[in-house]
Amino acid sequence: MRLKQAVLVAGIGLLAAALPLVAHHSFAAEFDSTKAITLQGVVTKLDWMNPHIWIYLDTKDDSGTVAHWQCEGGPPNTLTRNGWSKDSLKIGDQVNIDGFRSKDGSNTCNARSVKLPSGKSVFAGSAEDGGPNKRQ
Amino acid sequence: MTIRTAILAIAWLVPAIAFGQGSGPSAAVPRTPDGKPDLSGLWQRPYVPDMTKSNKDQSQIGTADLPFTDAGLKSWKTYDAANGDYTGSCLPFGLMRSMNSPDPIQIMQSPKYVALLYEQNTWFHIIPVDKPHHDGATPTWFGDSTGHWDGDTFVVDTVNFNGRTRLDTIGHPHSDALHVIERFTRTDATHIAYEVTIDDPKTFTKPWTNKRTFTLRTDWEIMEYSCEENNKDLYDGHIKPPPR
Repeated sequence: MRLKQAVLVAGIGLLAAALPLVAHHSFAAEFDSTKAITLQGVVTKLDWMNPHIWIYLDTKDDSGTVAHWQCEGGPPNTLTRNGWSKDSLKIGDQVNIDGFRSKDGSNTCNARSVKLPSGKSVFAGSAEDGGPNKRQ
Repeated sequence: MTIRTAILAIAWLVPAIAFGQGSGPSAAVPRTPDGKPDLSGLWQRPYVPDMTKSNKDQSQIGTADLPFTDAGLKSWKTYDAANGDYTGSCLPFGLMRSMNSPDPIQIMQSPKYVALLYEQNTWFHIIPVDKPHHDGATPTWFGDSTGHWDGDTFVVDTVNFNGRTRLDTIGHPHSDALHVIERFTRTDATHIAYEVTIDDPKTFTKPWTNKRTFTLRTDWEIMEYSCEENNKDLYDGHIKPPPR
């Protein structure tokens, strides 16, 4: 089944009312709280390292063109205390990521929600950094 | 229960709940051999990205309207983290931003020294007890601290900051004239009431405070936290280093 790339850049309003911050550095230093994004893709790599985990995924649009994305998650220490590990997400897993794009326009996002096709959230509990919609 | 007893019970419970203590007077405060309250342990703290806000559960109570000086207000209004948040470069968070981080702290205590071990970036800060501030010392990120006991409250007085940090993640400013007074009170077996006063005459017209509750986590251990390990935000150029 062809994966469908869904990139939705929201305008003013969606999820932008909450204070955009992260624990390591200010959210505003890197990400744009007015540019919400939804990605569907396949995990190609996971960095389980401080100060944030990074999830790498490939998405495809309707023409089959692949795009490489990287999304920042929570700090591994907090995630570990919430019961997650580097094995909670595996290479090849399909994921849906809701987040916010980086200001520099690259294929980089701050993940606020990571879900498997079953709807199960992965890395939930990393919302301690107080970012938009409390989803990180 | 008589009405009077009920009123007394409520009068006791309200402040306990308000500061998130949630345990009764029977929960004894542990003490060290010299009789001081024992602050030792690994403490979970509320994340305070904005010291003007308060948590709904009252585990953190901020000062909503900061009394800025003209210079302080200008510094606040012109701050844009996109121009370089120093923490994104893994530079030292400094005292207040370390105290405001969501990661736990380990407190180690002796009669002569109290040490705060921050999981955040594996930093530490040593507080000599009953010693004067260092004279003429080079200003630092965490400042120069000295502690003393005010009854059962450990009071930490810190000065001589380098002025290169921010108070919180959102970026409230301070100057090199920052003077921080922290009060640690172990209120029961599992909680510390923490109150910090921010005194900075260059930035604020008067001192202001922030209160919060720390919770003992005997089920946690401090973990290594290397900010530099994989700081892709900086390495890949997604964020700017701070102005020098």
